[in-house]
Amino acid sequence: MLGRIWTVFAKEVVDNLRDQRTLAASLLYPLLGPVLIALLYAVLGQTVVQQSEQPLSLAVAGAENAPGLIQFLKQNDVEIRPAPADPEAEVWAGNYDVILVIPPGYGEDLRADRPATVQLISDRSRQSASVAVSRARSLLEAYSHQIGSLRLLARGISPAVVEALVIEGIDVSTPQSQAAGLLNITPYFIIFSIFIGGMYLAIDTTSGERERGSLEPLLINPVARWELVMGKLGAALVFIVIAVVETLIGFAVVLNFLQSSFGARLELHLLTLVFVFLIALPIMPLAAALEVAIATFTRSVKEAQNYISFLTIIPALPGMLLALVPIKTELWAMLVPAFGQQLLINQVLRGESVRPLNVTVSAVVTLLAGLAFVFVATKLYEREQVLFGR
Amino acid sequence: MIQVNGLHKSFGQVVALRGVTFSAPDGRITGLVGPNGAGKTTSLRILYTVLRPDRGSASVDGYDTTVAALQVLRQIGAVPDSHGLYPRLTARENIRYYGRLHSQSGEALERNIEALITLLDMQDFADRRSEGLSQGQRVKVAIARALVHQPRNILLDEPAGGLDVLSTRAMRTFIRRLRDEGRCMLFCSHIMQEVSTLCDNIVVLARGEVVATGTPDELRQMTHQANLEDALVAVIGSEVGLERC
Repeated sequence: MLGRIWTVFAKEVVDNLRDQRTLAASLLYPLLGPVLIALLYAVLGQTVVQQSEQPLSLAVAGAENAPGLIQFLKQNDVEIRPAPADPEAEVWAGNYDVILVIPPGYGEDLRADRPATVQLISDRSRQSASVAVSRARSLLEAYSHQIGSLRLLARGISPAVVEALVIEGIDVSTPQSQAAGLLNITPYFIIFSIFIGGMYLAIDTTSGERERGSLEPLLINPVARWELVMGKLGAALVFIVIAVVETLIGFAVVLNFLQSSFGARLELHLLTLVFVFLIALPIMPLAAALEVAIATFTRSVKEAQNYISFLTIIPALPGMLLALVPIKTELWAMLVPAFGQQLLINQVLRGESVRPLNVTVSAVVTLLAGLAFVFVATKLYEREQVLFGR
Repeated sequence: MIQVNGLHKSFGQVVALRGVTFSAPDGRITGLVGPNGAGKTTSLRILYTVLRPDRGSASVDGYDTTVAALQVLRQIGAVPDSHGLYPRLTARENIRYYGRLHSQSGEALERNIEALITLLDMQDFADRRSEGLSQGQRVKVAIARALVHQPRNILLDEPAGGLDVLSTRAMRTFIRRLRDEGRCMLFCSHIMQEVSTLCDNIVVLARGEVVATGTPDELRQMTHQANLEDALVAVIGSEVGLERC
C-alpha cells in the first residue's frame, strides 16, 4: 500500500520536475509577494520622503490680504503661488493638493484682535495630498500661536498661561508593528503561494492525465483509487512546500534588505519564519485536496485552471480585509480554515505573542476540512465518470 | 480465463450493451468483432473494472470484476484504445512505473523490462522520452507496459491501430506467441483482416448484442460463405463501421 502510494508520488514529482513551464511558473509565482512588498516600500517610502523634504508649494487666494502671514510662510520655506479662479473645483479635480483662501476681511479682524478666518481647501480622501495638507495646517497653527503669544505679551501675560496642557506623545508601537502596514499583506501572499504552488501539479496529474489519455491505462493497475489520490496529493504537497519556503525566504531577504538600506524596522528572524511555516502547514493539505478534487471533477484542463485560479482569490478575501480593517484575533476566527492562520501569521510577524489555544483550534479545524476534501477527491476518483470528467 | 454473463450497460439514454455473454478460454485468441459502436470497448472496460455493469457479471480467473476488482486487475494486462504514455518519461520509465504499481521492484523488475524491450525490438528508443516516439513505437511501449507483470489474461483494444505492415506482422507473431504460452488473449477490432488471420474464436457483436460466436470455420459454415470476411458481414447484416483490408 505505502509502496504503491510512494510509486505514484515519486512518478508525479519526477514527471512534473521535467515540465519546464510548470516548474518556472511554480518557482516564479511565490516570489510575487516579496517583490511587490519591495516595490511598494520603495515607491511609498520615496513619496513620503520627497513630500516632506521638498519646499511646500502652496496656492494662495487673496495673498494681498495678509502680508504678515505670507511673509511667515515664505520664511518657513513655502513657495507661494497664485490660486486658480475656482479653488474648490480645482482641488476636487485633483489639480491642487491644497489651496489657502484668505478672505478680504482678514486684515480688519486681525487688527481688531478678533479670530481671523482663513480657509484651507483640501480633499481628505486623497492619500497622496495628506502630507501637503498637514504641513500647511501645522504652519498656519504655528502662525496663529505666534500671533496669540505676541498679543498676550502685549497685555503683560505670559503665553504659558494659556498652555493648560502639554501633550507629550509616547509611541507604544513596537518596531515590528510600525512596519505592520506592509506586514499586513504578507499573510495573504503566503496563502497565495500555497494555492498557486500546488495548482499546476494538481491539474496536470488529474485533468491533464485524463486529457492525455493516460488515466484509463493507469486505472487498469491494481491500485486502489484512494492510493492514487494520496500519491498525487503528496506530490502536490511537495510543490506547495517548496513554494511557501521560497516565499518566506523571499520576504526575509526583502525585509532585511529594506532594514539595512531604508532603516525600516522590519526584523524577520529564522525562528519567526519557521513558526510562520508551521502555522501555515495545515492549510497545505487542504489546498492540495481542494485542487485535486476540483481538477478531477472538471471536464478539461482549461476548465480546471479557470476554477482553481478563482479559488486562489477566495482565501485571500479575509486577508485583504485584514490589510484594510484590523481584526482582533478571536477564537471564532480560528474556526474559518485558512483565515485563522492569516490572523495568527500576522500576529507572529507583528512580534505579538500567540495563544496556543488559537493555534491548536485553527490547525485542527483546517486539517479536518482538508481531510473532508481528501475524502471528496477519493470519491470522485472512485466514480466511473472519472474517465470522462464530471 | 474470461467469462462474461448477460452484461447490460447504458450511458444515460444510450444503451451500449443489451445482455452480452461470451467466454475467452486460456491458450486461445478470442476476437471481439463488430462495427464501431457495437459495444466492444464497453465490454472490455467492464472487464478491466473501470466501468460497472448495470446488470450481469464478468469474471477473470474466477474473480468477479465488481466484487474483487483489484484481484481482477492483478490477473490482467490491458491495452486500452488510448495508449496515453507519459510524454516526459522515457519508454523504459513508463514501463517501470507500471511494474512498480504491480508491486514489482529491483532486479526482477529490471529483468522483466529488459526482456520485453528485447522481445518487442525496442532497444533503439527504450531510453528516449516518449513524447518523441512514433505511433508504432508508442503502441509497443503501451503493450510492454501492460505486460510487465506477466499477466495470465491479456486484453487488447485495436492493437494494430496506427501500425505499418511490418509492425503489424511482428505484432501478430507476438500475440500468437503469448497464446502459445497458454495465456488467455482477448482482443477487439473492427478490422476484419486482423480478426480472420489471428483469431481462434470469434465473438461477433452488433448493437450491444452477441450475434454469433464460433471458430472461423464454424462461422463460415453457418453463413455458407467461403470467405470469413463475407461471413462476418452476413452475420452483422451490414458493412457499416467495419473495415476490410
